[in-house]
Amino acid sequence: MEDWPDIDELRERFLNHVFDEQTFSISADSCAGFAVACGELAPCFTDPEHPDFQAPPTFPSTFRTHHHRPPDFPQILGLGMDAGKAVHSYKPIRPEQELTTKTHLHDVYQKTGRSGRMIFVVSRMEVFDAHGELLAAADARQVVRERPTS
Amino acid sequence: MILDLHAHSIKSDDGRAKVQNYCQWIRAREIPVDGFVLTEHRQFDLESDYSALAEEFGLCILKGSEVETEYGHVLVFGVTKALTEEFDFSDIHLPLARVIEACAKHNAVPVPCHPGRRRVGMTAHIEEYGIPEGVRIVEIYNGGSRGDEDAIAQTMATEQSYLGIGGSDAHIVSHIGRCATRFPAPIASEGELVEALQGDQFEAITYRED
Repeated sequence: MEDWPDIDELRERFLNHVFDEQTFSISADSCAGFAVACGELAPCFTDPEHPDFQAPPTFPSTFRTHHHRPPDFPQILGLGMDAGKAVHSYKPIRPEQELTTKTHLHDVYQKTGRSGRMIFVVSRMEVFDAHGELLAAADARQVVRERPTS
Repeated sequence: MILDLHAHSIKSDDGRAKVQNYCQWIRAREIPVDGFVLTEHRQFDLESDYSALAEEFGLCILKGSEVETEYGHVLVFGVTKALTEEFDFSDIHLPLARVIEACAKHNAVPVPCHPGRRRVGMTAHIEEYGIPEGVRIVEIYNGGSRGDEDAIAQTMATEQSYLGIGGSDAHIVSHIGRCATRFPAPIASEGELVEALQGDQFEAITYRED
C-alpha cells in the first residue's frame, strides 16, 4: 500500500485557503462558441446580439488556474485522474465584464471501492464580478487511487 | 410492502440522482416498490426532509447510511443523531465491531452490503479477520453487483445462517428498485423499519434480468 498522507492533517492545513487568484474578462465569441460546442440552442447563450446574452452556466468549468493545488500540498502517490467537474451558477456571467476567480481547496476525503482506497481532492474556484458579487463556483475533483497490488 | 433498502442521492459524492427524480422514475416506469431508503456514503443526512415528496408520490422515503469498515461497507438502518455521535461516519477504517456495538446501543440495525464484492465486501476480508461477531443480516441482492458477487453473498449467507435483504445500490435514476426487500406489513418510518429488520419476516427480491 502506498504511503499516503493523513487526511485529517491535510484538511486542517489546506482547506478553505485561497491559493490562486486571477482577474480577466471573457469575450462574447468565446461564450457563444462554447455554447454552440455544447449543443446549446437558446439564443441567450448562442447569439451575442441577444438582449440577455450571457455565458452558459457551465462556462466557468473552462476557466484555468495558475496552480492546481496549494504550492506546499504534498504529492499523493498513486494513480491520479480527473473525477469530474461541477458548476454552481448563481448569477449570469456577461462577456467583457471584469471577473476575478479565487480558488481554494474545498474538500479532501477518502473512500474505498472495488478498485481499493482512493483520495479525492476537490478544488473550488469562485467567480466574482467587479463588485465582489459571487457569480458562480466551479468544482474540479481529482482522485488518486492506490496502485493495484497485482 | 416492498422497499429498496439501498439507494444514493446527490447527497453522496458519487450519487447522480435527485430524490425527486427517483420518485418520478418509480411512478413513470411503474417500478414495483413502495419506497426506498437513502443510504448516503459515510454520512447521515440529518437535514433533508422528504416527507412532502413522499406524500406527493405516495412513496415511503426513509434515511439510513452506508459506512466503511475493515470488513467492507455496511448499511445502517435506524440512524439517530445520538448514533452519529458514537463514531465518525466519514472514517473509512471503522472497526465493524464498534459499528455493531453502537447500533445495538442505539437500536439501529447494521447490514454488511454487497458482501461478495471485491475489496469492499465482507467475504473478501473473512480470511484475514475471521467471521465477525454480531452480524445477523447481509445484503444478498445488490443492484450494482457484477458477475458472481451476489452468488458469493448468498453462499456466505447460507453457510453462516444470515438473513438476507435486497437493495438496488442505485446511484443513477434508472437503477432504483432493481433489487428490494419484501416485508409482510406496512412500514412508514425508520423505527418501523428497524422493528421489521429485528424480526425475520422479510425476503430479498431482485428484478434484475441479467
